[in-house]
Amino acid sequence: MMEVEFLILLLISSIIAGFLGSLTGLGGATVLVPIYTLFLGIPMAYATGASLISTIATSSGTASAYIKDRITNVRIGMSLEIATTGGAIIGSLLAHWIYEHHLVFILFIVFGVVILSSVYPQIEKSSLELPKPMKPDWTTKIFQLYGEYYDAALRQEVKYYGVRWWLGEIVMFFAGLISGLLGIGSGALKVIGMDWAMNLPLKVSTTTSNFMIGVTAATSSSLYWLFGYIEPALAGITAVGVIIGSYLGTKVLVKTRNTRLRLIFIIILIFLGIEMIIRGVSLWT
Amino acid sequence: MDMNDVIGYALRIGVLISISLIIIGFILLSTTPQFSELTSPNSRFNTSVVKPEEVFRGIRKGNGVDFILLGLMVLIATPVVRVVLGIIQFAMQRNVIYVIITLIVLFNLLLAIFILPLII
Repeated sequence: MMEVEFLILLLISSIIAGFLGSLTGLGGATVLVPIYTLFLGIPMAYATGASLISTIATSSGTASAYIKDRITNVRIGMSLEIATTGGAIIGSLLAHWIYEHHLVFILFIVFGVVILSSVYPQIEKSSLELPKPMKPDWTTKIFQLYGEYYDAALRQEVKYYGVRWWLGEIVMFFAGLISGLLGIGSGALKVIGMDWAMNLPLKVSTTTSNFMIGVTAATSSSLYWLFGYIEPALAGITAVGVIIGSYLGTKVLVKTRNTRLRLIFIIILIFLGIEMIIRGVSLWT
Repeated sequence: MDMNDVIGYALRIGVLISISLIIIGFILLSTTPQFSELTSPNSRFNTSVVKPEEVFRGIRKGNGVDFILLGLMVLIATPVVRVVLGIIQFAMQRNVIYVIITLIVLFNLLLAIFILPLII
Protein backbone atom coordinates (compact mmCIF):
# COMPACT_ATOMS: atom_id res chain seq x y z
CA MET A 1 0.00 0.00 0.00
CA MET A 2 2.40 2.67 -1.24
CA GLU A 3 -0.28 5.31 -1.53
CA VAL A 4 -1.36 5.06 2.11
CA GLU A 5 2.24 5.48 3.25
CA PHE A 6 2.62 8.48 0.98
CA LEU A 7 -0.59 10.02 2.33
CA ILE A 8 0.55 9.56 5.91
CA LEU A 9 3.90 11.12 5.04
CA LEU A 10 2.08 14.11 3.53
CA LEU A 11 -0.18 14.42 6.53
CA ILE A 12 2.71 14.31 9.01
CA SER A 13 4.75 16.85 6.99
CA SER A 14 1.84 19.24 6.79
CA ILE A 15 1.01 18.89 10.49
CA ILE A 16 4.65 19.74 11.35
CA ALA A 17 4.61 22.65 8.89
CA GLY A 18 1.37 24.01 10.33
CA PHE A 19 2.68 23.61 13.87
CA LEU A 20 5.94 25.47 13.19
CA GLY A 21 4.15 28.03 11.07
CA SER A 22 1.67 28.99 13.74
CA LEU A 23 4.32 29.12 16.47
CA THR A 24 6.36 31.60 14.50
CA GLY A 25 3.69 33.45 12.56
CA LEU A 26 5.33 32.62 9.25
CA GLY A 27 2.60 30.28 8.08
CA GLY A 28 3.03 26.63 7.18
CA ALA A 29 4.00 27.12 3.55
CA THR A 30 7.50 28.37 4.28
CA VAL A 31 8.62 24.93 5.40
CA LEU A 32 6.00 22.96 3.49
CA VAL A 33 7.15 23.71 -0.04
CA PRO A 34 10.82 22.81 0.63
CA ILE A 35 9.84 19.54 2.35
CA TYR A 36 7.51 18.60 -0.53
CA THR A 37 9.90 19.47 -3.33
CA LEU A 38 13.22 18.44 -1.79
CA PHE A 39 12.24 15.30 0.11
CA LEU A 40 8.95 13.98 -1.24
CA GLY A 41 9.61 14.48 -4.94
CA ILE A 42 6.49 16.53 -5.57
CA PRO A 43 6.71 18.90 -8.55
CA MET A 44 7.12 22.57 -7.60
CA ALA A 45 3.83 23.62 -9.22
CA TYR A 46 1.77 21.09 -7.22
CA ALA A 47 3.68 21.82 -4.00
CA THR A 48 3.03 25.55 -4.29
CA GLY A 49 -0.61 24.98 -5.30
CA ALA A 50 -1.21 22.81 -2.23
CA SER A 51 0.53 25.26 0.05
CA LEU A 52 -1.59 28.17 -1.23
CA ILE A 53 -4.73 26.19 -0.42
CA SER A 54 -3.44 25.37 3.07
CA THR A 55 -2.60 29.04 3.57
CA ILE A 56 -6.23 30.01 3.01
CA ALA A 57 -7.33 27.34 5.46
CA THR A 58 -5.07 28.52 8.28
CA SER A 59 -5.69 32.19 7.66
CA SER A 60 -9.47 31.79 7.70
CA GLY A 61 -9.32 29.39 10.63
CA THR A 62 -7.28 31.67 12.86
CA ALA A 63 -8.56 35.03 11.57
CA SER A 64 -11.93 34.39 13.16
CA ALA A 65 -10.27 34.07 16.56
CA TYR A 66 -8.12 37.16 16.05
CA ILE A 67 -11.06 39.29 14.88
CA LYS A 68 -12.78 38.38 18.13
CA ASP A 69 -9.76 39.65 20.07
CA ARG A 70 -10.14 43.00 18.28
CA ILE A 71 -6.38 43.29 17.76
CA THR A 72 -6.60 42.87 13.98
CA ASN A 73 -7.13 46.20 12.25
CA VAL A 74 -9.63 45.29 9.56
CA ARG A 75 -9.48 48.73 7.91
CA ILE A 76 -5.71 48.76 7.55
CA GLY A 77 -5.76 45.15 6.37
CA MET A 78 -8.41 45.78 3.76
CA SER A 79 -6.72 48.92 2.43
CA LEU A 80 -3.46 47.03 1.96
CA GLU A 81 -5.20 44.16 0.22
CA ILE A 82 -5.59 46.32 -2.86
CA ALA A 83 -1.84 45.95 -3.30
CA THR A 84 -1.46 42.33 -2.17
CA THR A 85 -4.22 41.01 -4.43
CA GLY A 86 -2.84 43.01 -7.36
CA GLY A 87 0.64 41.66 -6.63
CA ALA A 88 -0.75 38.13 -6.28
CA ILE A 89 -2.27 38.28 -9.77
CA ILE A 90 1.01 39.46 -11.32
CA GLY A 91 2.99 36.91 -9.28
CA SER A 92 0.77 33.99 -10.34
CA LEU A 93 0.97 34.98 -14.00
CA LEU A 94 4.74 35.24 -13.63
CA ALA A 95 4.89 31.78 -12.02
CA HIS A 96 2.88 30.36 -14.94
CA TRP A 97 5.26 31.96 -17.42
CA ILE A 98 8.23 30.48 -15.55
CA TYR A 99 6.72 26.97 -15.59
CA GLU A 100 5.81 27.25 -19.27
CA HIS A 101 9.40 28.13 -20.09
CA HIS A 102 10.87 25.37 -17.87
CA LEU A 103 12.72 27.87 -15.71
CA VAL A 104 11.66 26.34 -12.40
CA PHE A 105 15.22 26.68 -11.04
CA ILE A 106 14.48 30.40 -10.65
CA LEU A 107 11.68 29.59 -8.21
CA PHE A 108 13.94 27.33 -6.13
CA ILE A 109 16.57 30.05 -5.83
CA VAL A 110 14.06 32.83 -5.08
CA PHE A 111 12.38 30.58 -2.52
CA GLY A 112 15.71 29.90 -0.83
CA VAL A 113 16.53 33.60 -0.69
CA VAL A 114 13.08 34.46 0.71
CA ILE A 115 13.44 31.80 3.44
CA LEU A 116 16.90 32.96 4.42
CA SER A 117 15.81 36.60 4.51
CA SER A 118 12.93 35.73 6.81
CA VAL A 119 15.45 34.46 9.36
CA TYR A 120 16.50 37.98 10.31
CA PRO A 121 13.12 39.18 11.60
CA GLN A 122 12.85 35.88 13.48
CA ILE A 123 15.99 36.74 15.43
CA GLU A 124 14.99 40.37 15.83
CA LYS A 125 11.42 39.70 16.94
CA SER A 126 12.06 39.02 20.60
CA SER A 127 13.52 42.47 21.24
CA LEU A 128 10.68 44.49 19.76
CA GLU A 129 8.47 46.68 21.93
CA LEU A 130 5.85 49.17 20.86
CA PRO A 131 7.02 51.43 18.00
CA LYS A 132 8.27 54.95 18.65
CA PRO A 133 5.46 57.28 17.68
CA MET A 134 5.92 59.16 14.42
CA LYS A 135 4.08 62.29 13.32
CA PRO A 136 0.80 61.38 11.61
CA ASP A 137 0.84 62.24 7.92
CA TRP A 138 -1.90 62.91 5.39
CA THR A 139 -2.51 59.21 4.82
CA THR A 140 -3.16 58.61 8.52
CA LYS A 141 -6.31 60.72 8.30
CA ILE A 142 -7.57 59.83 4.80
CA PHE A 143 -7.19 56.08 5.25
CA GLN A 144 -8.13 56.12 8.95
CA LEU A 145 -5.01 54.26 9.99
CA TYR A 146 -5.66 54.16 13.69
CA GLY A 147 -7.05 51.92 16.35
CA GLU A 148 -6.63 50.60 19.85
CA TYR A 149 -6.42 47.24 21.51
CA TYR A 150 -5.88 45.77 24.94
CA ASP A 151 -2.39 44.36 25.33
CA ALA A 152 -2.59 41.48 27.79
CA ALA A 153 1.20 41.33 28.24
CA LEU A 154 1.60 45.06 28.93
CA ARG A 155 -1.74 45.15 30.77
CA GLN A 156 -2.81 48.37 29.15
CA GLU A 157 -4.97 49.77 26.39
CA VAL A 158 -2.69 50.60 23.47
CA LYS A 159 -3.70 53.42 21.12
CA TYR A 160 -1.79 53.54 17.86
CA TYR A 161 -1.82 55.02 14.41
CA GLY A 162 -0.07 54.21 11.16
CA VAL A 163 1.81 56.46 8.74
CA ARG A 164 3.15 56.26 5.15
CA TRP A 165 0.27 54.27 3.70
CA TRP A 166 1.82 54.52 0.24
CA LEU A 167 5.05 52.87 1.44
CA GLY A 168 3.00 50.09 3.02
CA GLU A 169 1.22 49.59 -0.30
CA ILE A 170 4.53 49.27 -2.17
CA VAL A 171 5.86 46.63 0.26
CA MET A 172 2.50 44.83 0.11
CA PHE A 173 2.56 44.70 -3.66
CA PHE A 174 5.82 42.76 -3.46
CA ALA A 175 4.46 40.60 -0.66
CA GLY A 176 1.54 39.70 -2.95
CA LEU A 177 3.89 39.12 -5.88
CA ILE A 178 6.09 36.73 -3.86
CA SER A 179 2.98 35.01 -2.55
CA GLY A 180 1.67 34.38 -6.07
CA LEU A 181 5.10 33.38 -7.34
CA LEU A 182 6.03 30.93 -4.58
CA GLY A 183 2.67 29.84 -3.21
CA ILE A 184 3.37 31.13 0.28
CA GLY A 185 1.49 33.64 2.42
CA SER A 186 4.61 35.84 2.67
CA GLY A 187 3.59 36.84 6.16
CA ALA A 188 7.13 38.01 6.96
CA LEU A 189 7.04 40.63 4.20
CA LYS A 190 3.55 41.71 5.19
CA VAL A 191 4.68 42.23 8.75
CA ILE A 192 7.63 44.31 7.50
CA GLY A 193 5.18 46.40 5.47
CA MET A 194 3.14 47.28 8.54
CA ASP A 195 5.80 47.21 11.23
CA TRP A 196 8.62 49.00 9.41
CA ALA A 197 6.86 51.04 6.73
CA MET A 198 3.72 52.05 8.60
CA ASN A 199 5.06 52.04 12.17
CA LEU A 200 2.30 49.86 13.61
CA PRO A 201 2.68 47.79 16.81
CA LEU A 202 3.91 44.26 16.15
CA LYS A 203 0.79 42.60 17.54
CA VAL A 204 -1.38 44.58 15.16
CA SER A 205 0.98 43.82 12.26
CA THR A 206 1.09 40.07 12.80
CA THR A 207 -2.64 39.58 13.34
CA THR A 208 -3.57 41.89 10.48
CA SER A 209 -1.04 40.14 8.25
CA ASN A 210 -2.66 36.82 9.09
CA PHE A 211 -6.06 38.26 8.23
CA MET A 212 -4.80 39.47 4.84
CA ILE A 213 -3.04 36.26 3.84
CA GLY A 214 -6.30 34.42 3.12
CA VAL A 215 -7.54 36.97 0.61
CA THR A 216 -4.13 37.14 -1.09
CA ALA A 217 -3.87 33.36 -1.32
CA ALA A 218 -7.44 33.04 -2.64
CA THR A 219 -6.51 35.33 -5.52
CA SER A 220 -3.48 33.24 -6.47
CA SER A 221 -5.20 29.89 -5.86
CA SER A 222 -7.95 30.58 -8.33
CA LEU A 223 -5.30 31.33 -10.98
CA TYR A 224 -3.29 28.25 -9.96
CA TRP A 225 -6.50 26.26 -10.36
CA LEU A 226 -6.91 27.68 -13.85
CA PHE A 227 -3.32 26.75 -14.76
CA GLY A 228 -3.84 23.20 -13.44
CA TYR A 229 -1.38 23.42 -10.54
CA ILE A 230 -3.74 22.14 -7.86
CA GLU A 231 -3.68 18.41 -7.28
CA PRO A 232 -6.83 17.64 -5.27
CA ALA A 233 -5.53 14.79 -3.10
CA LEU A 234 -2.31 16.62 -2.29
CA ALA A 235 -4.01 19.98 -1.66
CA GLY A 236 -6.79 18.34 0.36
CA ILE A 237 -4.54 16.39 2.70
CA THR A 238 -2.24 19.40 3.09
CA ALA A 239 -5.11 21.68 4.07
CA VAL A 240 -6.31 19.21 6.70
CA GLY A 241 -2.79 18.60 8.02
CA VAL A 242 -1.84 22.25 8.27
CA ILE A 243 -5.07 23.07 10.10
CA ILE A 244 -4.41 20.32 12.65
CA GLY A 245 -0.80 21.49 13.02
CA SER A 246 -1.62 25.14 13.48
CA TYR A 247 -4.32 24.28 16.00
CA LEU A 248 -1.76 22.32 18.02
CA GLY A 249 0.65 25.23 17.59
CA THR A 250 -1.73 27.76 19.10
CA LYS A 251 -2.32 25.42 22.07
CA VAL A 252 1.40 25.11 22.72
CA LEU A 253 2.04 28.80 22.09
CA VAL A 254 0.09 29.97 25.11
CA LYS A 255 1.87 27.53 27.41
CA THR A 256 5.52 27.86 26.45
CA ARG A 257 8.14 30.55 26.40
CA ASN A 258 9.22 29.69 22.93
CA THR A 259 12.79 30.96 22.70
CA ARG A 260 14.22 27.47 22.28
CA LEU A 261 11.58 26.55 19.72
CA ARG A 262 12.39 29.71 17.84
CA LEU A 263 16.06 28.76 17.72
CA ILE A 264 15.20 25.32 16.35
CA PHE A 265 12.96 26.93 13.77
CA ILE A 266 15.69 29.35 12.70
CA ILE A 267 18.07 26.43 12.17
CA ILE A 268 15.44 24.59 10.11
CA LEU A 269 14.86 27.71 8.02
CA ILE A 270 18.57 28.21 7.31
CA PHE A 271 18.95 24.54 6.36
CA LEU A 272 15.92 24.54 4.04
CA GLY A 273 16.87 27.89 2.50
CA ILE A 274 20.34 26.68 1.60
CA GLU A 275 18.97 23.36 0.30
CA MET A 276 16.50 25.20 -1.96
CA ILE A 277 19.26 27.37 -3.41
CA ILE A 278 21.51 24.35 -3.98
CA ARG A 279 18.65 22.53 -5.74
CA GLY A 280 17.96 25.59 -7.86
CA VAL A 281 21.57 25.99 -8.88
CA SER A 282 21.92 22.28 -9.70
CA LEU A 283 18.78 22.41 -11.87
CA TRP A 284 20.19 25.43 -13.64
CA THR A 285 23.59 24.04 -14.55
CA MET B 1 -24.99 40.50 16.67
CA ASP B 2 -21.87 42.50 15.83
CA MET B 3 -20.75 42.37 12.20
CA ASN B 4 -17.26 41.33 13.35
CA ASP B 5 -18.77 38.23 14.90
CA VAL B 6 -20.72 37.48 11.71
CA ILE B 7 -17.45 37.62 9.77
CA GLY B 8 -15.67 35.45 12.34
CA TYR B 9 -18.39 32.80 12.17
CA ALA B 10 -18.56 32.94 8.36
CA LEU B 11 -14.83 32.20 8.13
CA ARG B 12 -15.03 29.38 10.63
CA ILE B 13 -18.08 27.81 9.01
CA GLY B 14 -16.44 28.04 5.57
CA VAL B 15 -13.36 26.19 6.80
CA LEU B 16 -15.42 23.55 8.62
CA ILE B 17 -17.60 22.83 5.55
CA SER B 18 -14.54 22.66 3.34
CA ILE B 19 -12.58 20.32 5.63
CA SER B 20 -15.63 18.06 6.04
CA LEU B 21 -16.09 17.83 2.25
CA ILE B 22 -12.38 17.02 1.82
CA ILE B 23 -12.49 14.27 4.46
CA ILE B 24 -15.68 12.75 2.99
CA GLY B 25 -13.96 12.90 -0.40
CA PHE B 26 -10.96 10.94 0.84
CA ILE B 27 -13.17 8.30 2.43
CA LEU B 28 -15.13 7.83 -0.80
CA LEU B 29 -11.95 7.92 -2.87
CA SER B 30 -10.10 5.31 -0.82
CA THR B 31 -12.22 2.46 -2.16
CA THR B 32 -11.71 3.33 -5.83
CA PRO B 33 -8.88 2.55 -8.27
CA GLN B 34 -8.43 6.31 -8.74
CA PHE B 35 -7.00 6.51 -5.23
CA SER B 36 -3.48 5.31 -6.03
CA GLU B 37 -3.41 7.42 -9.18
CA LEU B 38 -4.11 10.64 -7.27
CA THR B 39 -2.13 9.98 -4.14
CA SER B 40 1.32 9.67 -5.65
CA PRO B 41 4.01 12.23 -6.49
CA ASN B 42 3.47 11.38 -10.15
CA SER B 43 -0.20 12.35 -10.24
CA ARG B 44 -1.12 14.08 -13.47
CA PHE B 45 -4.42 15.54 -12.33
CA ASN B 46 -5.11 18.84 -14.05
CA THR B 47 -7.55 21.31 -12.52
CA SER B 48 -7.48 23.48 -15.64
CA VAL B 49 -9.99 21.15 -17.32
CA VAL B 50 -12.31 20.83 -14.32
CA LYS B 51 -15.68 22.50 -14.85
CA PRO B 52 -17.87 23.42 -11.84
CA GLU B 53 -20.96 21.73 -13.33
CA GLU B 54 -19.03 18.45 -13.64
CA VAL B 55 -18.05 18.70 -9.99
CA PHE B 56 -21.68 19.06 -8.95
CA ARG B 57 -22.67 16.13 -11.16
CA GLY B 58 -19.87 14.08 -9.58
CA ILE B 59 -21.11 14.96 -6.09
CA ARG B 60 -24.53 13.45 -6.86
CA LYS B 61 -22.80 10.27 -8.03
CA GLY B 62 -20.78 10.12 -4.81
CA ASN B 63 -17.52 10.69 -6.64
CA GLY B 64 -14.69 11.20 -4.09
CA VAL B 65 -12.50 13.51 -6.17
CA ASP B 66 -15.42 15.86 -6.74
CA PHE B 67 -16.06 16.09 -3.01
CA ILE B 68 -12.43 17.09 -2.50
CA LEU B 69 -12.63 19.59 -5.37
CA LEU B 70 -15.81 21.13 -3.97
CA GLY B 71 -14.10 21.37 -0.57
CA LEU B 72 -11.22 23.25 -2.19
CA MET B 73 -13.65 25.55 -4.02
CA VAL B 74 -15.44 26.34 -0.75
CA LEU B 75 -12.06 27.13 0.80
CA ILE B 76 -11.16 29.54 -2.02
CA ALA B 77 -14.63 31.11 -1.80
CA THR B 78 -14.37 31.77 1.95
CA PRO B 79 -12.14 34.89 1.65
CA VAL B 80 -14.41 36.16 -1.15
CA VAL B 81 -17.41 35.94 1.17
CA ARG B 82 -15.34 37.65 3.81
CA VAL B 83 -14.63 40.59 1.49
CA VAL B 84 -18.30 40.88 0.53
CA LEU B 85 -19.24 40.95 4.24
CA GLY B 86 -16.57 43.64 4.66
CA ILE B 87 -18.34 45.82 2.08
CA ILE B 88 -21.62 45.43 3.99
CA GLN B 89 -19.87 46.25 7.26
CA PHE B 90 -18.33 49.47 5.91
CA ALA B 91 -21.59 50.44 4.24
CA MET B 92 -23.36 50.09 7.60
CA GLN B 93 -20.76 52.40 9.12
CA ARG B 94 -21.26 54.83 6.19
CA ASN B 95 -17.51 54.72 5.63
CA VAL B 96 -17.51 55.69 1.94
CA ILE B 97 -13.79 55.50 1.30
CA TYR B 98 -13.60 51.99 2.76
CA VAL B 99 -16.60 50.80 0.77
CA ILE B 100 -14.69 51.88 -2.34
CA ILE B 101 -11.43 50.28 -1.15
CA THR B 102 -13.15 46.98 -0.37
CA LEU B 103 -14.92 47.05 -3.73
CA ILE B 104 -11.52 47.35 -5.42
CA VAL B 105 -10.27 44.30 -3.47
CA LEU B 106 -13.40 42.38 -4.50
CA PHE B 107 -12.81 43.43 -8.09
CA ASN B 108 -9.24 42.05 -7.95
CA LEU B 109 -10.53 38.76 -6.56
CA LEU B 110 -13.26 38.44 -9.18
CA LEU B 111 -10.75 39.41 -11.86
CA ALA B 112 -8.61 36.43 -10.85
CA ILE B 113 -11.56 34.04 -10.50
CA PHE B 114 -13.83 34.91 -13.42
CA ILE B 115 -12.32 37.42 -15.83
CA LEU B 116 -8.71 36.27 -16.32
CA PRO B 117 -9.82 32.67 -17.12
CA LEU B 118 -11.73 34.07 -20.09
CA ILE B 119 -8.67 35.89 -21.40
CA ILE B 120 -5.94 33.30 -20.79
